[in-house]
Amino acid sequence: MFFHIVLERNMQLHPRHFGRNLREHLVSKLMKDVEGTCSGRHGFVVAITGVDSIGKGLIRDGTGFVTFPVKYQCVVFRPFKGEILEAVVTMVNKMGFFAEAGPVQIFVSNHLIPDDMEFQSGDMPNYTTSDGSVKIQKDSEVRLKIIGTRVDATEIFCIGTIKDDFLGVINDPTAV
Amino acid sequence: MADDDYNEVDMGYEDEPAEPEIEEGAEEDIDNNNNEEAVGEGEPIETEEKVELEQKGATRKTSKFMTKYERARILGTRALQISMNAPVMVELEGETDPLEIAMKELRERKIPFTIRRSLPDGSYEDWGVDELIVEDSWKRQVGGN
Repeated sequence: MFFHIVLERNMQLHPRHFGRNLREHLVSKLMKDVEGTCSGRHGFVVAITGVDSIGKGLIRDGTGFVTFPVKYQCVVFRPFKGEILEAVVTMVNKMGFFAEAGPVQIFVSNHLIPDDMEFQSGDMPNYTTSDGSVKIQKDSEVRLKIIGTRVDATEIFCIGTIKDDFLGVINDPTAV
Repeated sequence: MADDDYNEVDMGYEDEPAEPEIEEGAEEDIDNNNNEEAVGEGEPIETEEKVELEQKGATRKTSKFMTKYERARILGTRALQISMNAPVMVELEGETDPLEIAMKELRERKIPFTIRRSLPDGSYEDWGVDELIVEDSWKRQVGGN
């Protein structure tokens, strides 16, 4: 799920960036540092949409650096248990398959793939129904449900299932 | 700032917390007029501070003199920053030593710092470097006007 939240961060700024463009430097450094990172608490920071306030700087002893508290609005993406996502399959093997929904990796074990789908090895490993009408391979798009998340300090990993109504392949690259 | 005012308070800091406001304001104006074009626009670190300080000015009770410790730390920190390529706030006349440049900035009251004086009861007072009277170890006033 996506959220638009306000976060705060203390930014260290090198003395060479002082001067009239200090704020611009601070904002661009903030974007470079924060966008694309993942925190276990808030999820993946997708984009910074605005900077609310830049507080008073505090000079660091010994280094000459200055620390500014910066409040900024950002869009974060955090997967939840039970959430339905659409994802692109990146790897298929006999244990199941991996899919990506934006920055998050999701593993779907073969226990959580419908029983009528069989693993087919070969140079393009895939899961196929017995009549061959549905095929999951690399680059397929699937709709899946998240049944578990592992949240580390800097990483989020999910377990998904497609063994449920209305889940499974939504777009087959070979059919197009 | 007027010399006689300065000499009176030479020996002690006890009796002058009050009334610097008018003079300082005036003096600041002069300062700004003199140096504005030379420096371009300075003041990076805290701009909105000014207003707050002016309001607080009346209630601050610590000395309006910069202590030698504050002076040392300010010069040291500022020289360090200058040595790390921080933009210099004064017009240079061939100086290359960061500490010398920092001293010149202090003389012209262009150091963009605010001193936070922590008091024993845990409160603090903020003083802009440009508000404090700087004197060297021979009690001569340095810079200002």
